[in-house]
Amino acid sequence: MSIVSFKGTREGLAITFGEGAWHDVLNELATQLNRPSAQSFFQGARVLLETGERALDVAQIEELIALLAQHRMTLTAISGEAHTRAAFEQVRATMPAPPESLAEETREASAPNAFGKHALLVQRTVRSGQNIKYAGTILVIGDVNPGAQVVAEGDVIVWGKLRGVVHAGAAGDDNAMVGALILAPTQLRIGKQIARAPDDKRARQFPEVARVRDGRIIVEPWIAS
Amino acid sequence: MPGRIITITSGKGGVGKTTATANIGVALARRGQRVACVDADIGLRNLDVVMGLENRIVYDLVDVVEGRARLRQALIKDKRLPELQLLPAAQTREKSAVNEKQMIKLCDDLRREFDFVLIDSPAGIELGFKNSIAPADEVLIIVTPEVSSVRDADRVIGLTEASEKSSPKLIINRLRPAMVRRGEMMDTADVLEVLAIELIGIVPEDETIITSTNKGQPVALEDRSVAGAAFTHIAQRLLGEEVPFQVFDESDGLMERLARLFRRNQ
Repeated sequence: MSIVSFKGTREGLAITFGEGAWHDVLNELATQLNRPSAQSFFQGARVLLETGERALDVAQIEELIALLAQHRMTLTAISGEAHTRAAFEQVRATMPAPPESLAEETREASAPNAFGKHALLVQRTVRSGQNIKYAGTILVIGDVNPGAQVVAEGDVIVWGKLRGVVHAGAAGDDNAMVGALILAPTQLRIGKQIARAPDDKRARQFPEVARVRDGRIIVEPWIAS
Repeated sequence: MPGRIITITSGKGGVGKTTATANIGVALARRGQRVACVDADIGLRNLDVVMGLENRIVYDLVDVVEGRARLRQALIKDKRLPELQLLPAAQTREKSAVNEKQMIKLCDDLRREFDFVLIDSPAGIELGFKNSIAPADEVLIIVTPEVSSVRDADRVIGLTEASEKSSPKLIINRLRPAMVRRGEMMDTADVLEVLAIELIGIVPEDETIITSTNKGQPVALEDRSVAGAAFTHIAQRLLGEEVPFQVFDESDGLMERLARLFRRNQ
């Protein structure tokens, strides 16, 4: 098996890394991407990476993203070993997705409420100054602290306390929803609607969900329906 | 065994980074550890003043980095504790006088001679902060129980985690038990609920800190001071000792207690 292999899928370009030194993998990838025949084929592609057992750290992933960026390609997902995925998660949190990739995703925008279609799983506390953007649904297992921002083109679900700024349906989808165990965002946006936290009210201590109804954001208890 | 490099930082200014660095340094040195305190706040140096060593500065951190002085020449021995030494910051230069690589090299040299290298980080999240974090094995975040301080601490924790350091530990500084009891100040649980990292110390507000800082006589040198005791507990926890967290008996000052007694009798 070659050290780097490519496969086109509906979601984007799947690249699989075989065994070998990281240095060799990167070189091989650069060579493949530089082939004249490949140039037009790969340009602008979204990349899903299969890393297998290989453990990549943050620096390596950043290296990879930089290489792909030279070919106007964006890394959208990594499947593989847990450390690698965690590192990718970290890189993605610190680097907001380039605007063009967001726009691109919008064009082929999946059905409203793309729950389960493309979802980004974030398993940590999203802290002040951190910005998570995704062209699909974002699921956070942890808190979203004040000063943090979560922007999804689909829904936003927070299994924890949501206290930062949240925007669901960021590409203009008013059918998106925001749900959280404790829903107390600084500001909540769905599609083109904006609501802010009441100045006096304390957060209610049960799960709530926000949706747009008749052009207004409505918050109600989150119960099975 | 090479020493541990611990950076003390906060994001927000004025919450007690320098005081904490000096006092944890003193407390560790009193327990026989060889400690180097490094002032990374280039251009706004303070640690020398708080430690009462200002008048002994000949060379500074930038002199060492730029090769004008050897590390040995720039290190200042504490006048009270032989195990404690200070590497002062340059006052006439700016943060950009050093870079991350130089800080890492400097601290690696220090850890060969010391059990602990404590870095007093400047406020902010820019160059000076990054330089301070780069060499760290461990990071201590100082927070005061105020919303703005907690917000900045949260930001700094995020940045620390993103730089692949182990999860930082938290020191809650200047807690005022009486205000907490009256519901006028965030309590420990409120702070931890937002920041969700391990707590390593709670330091109560203590007026003697101000006089001790002015005199250059860290409170951890004395056994009577409540804040000094809290810093000593932090040092013990760093050394792996199990020290229960103090429950401050929430007592107000003597005058307040008398006033309450008086009101009750009215």
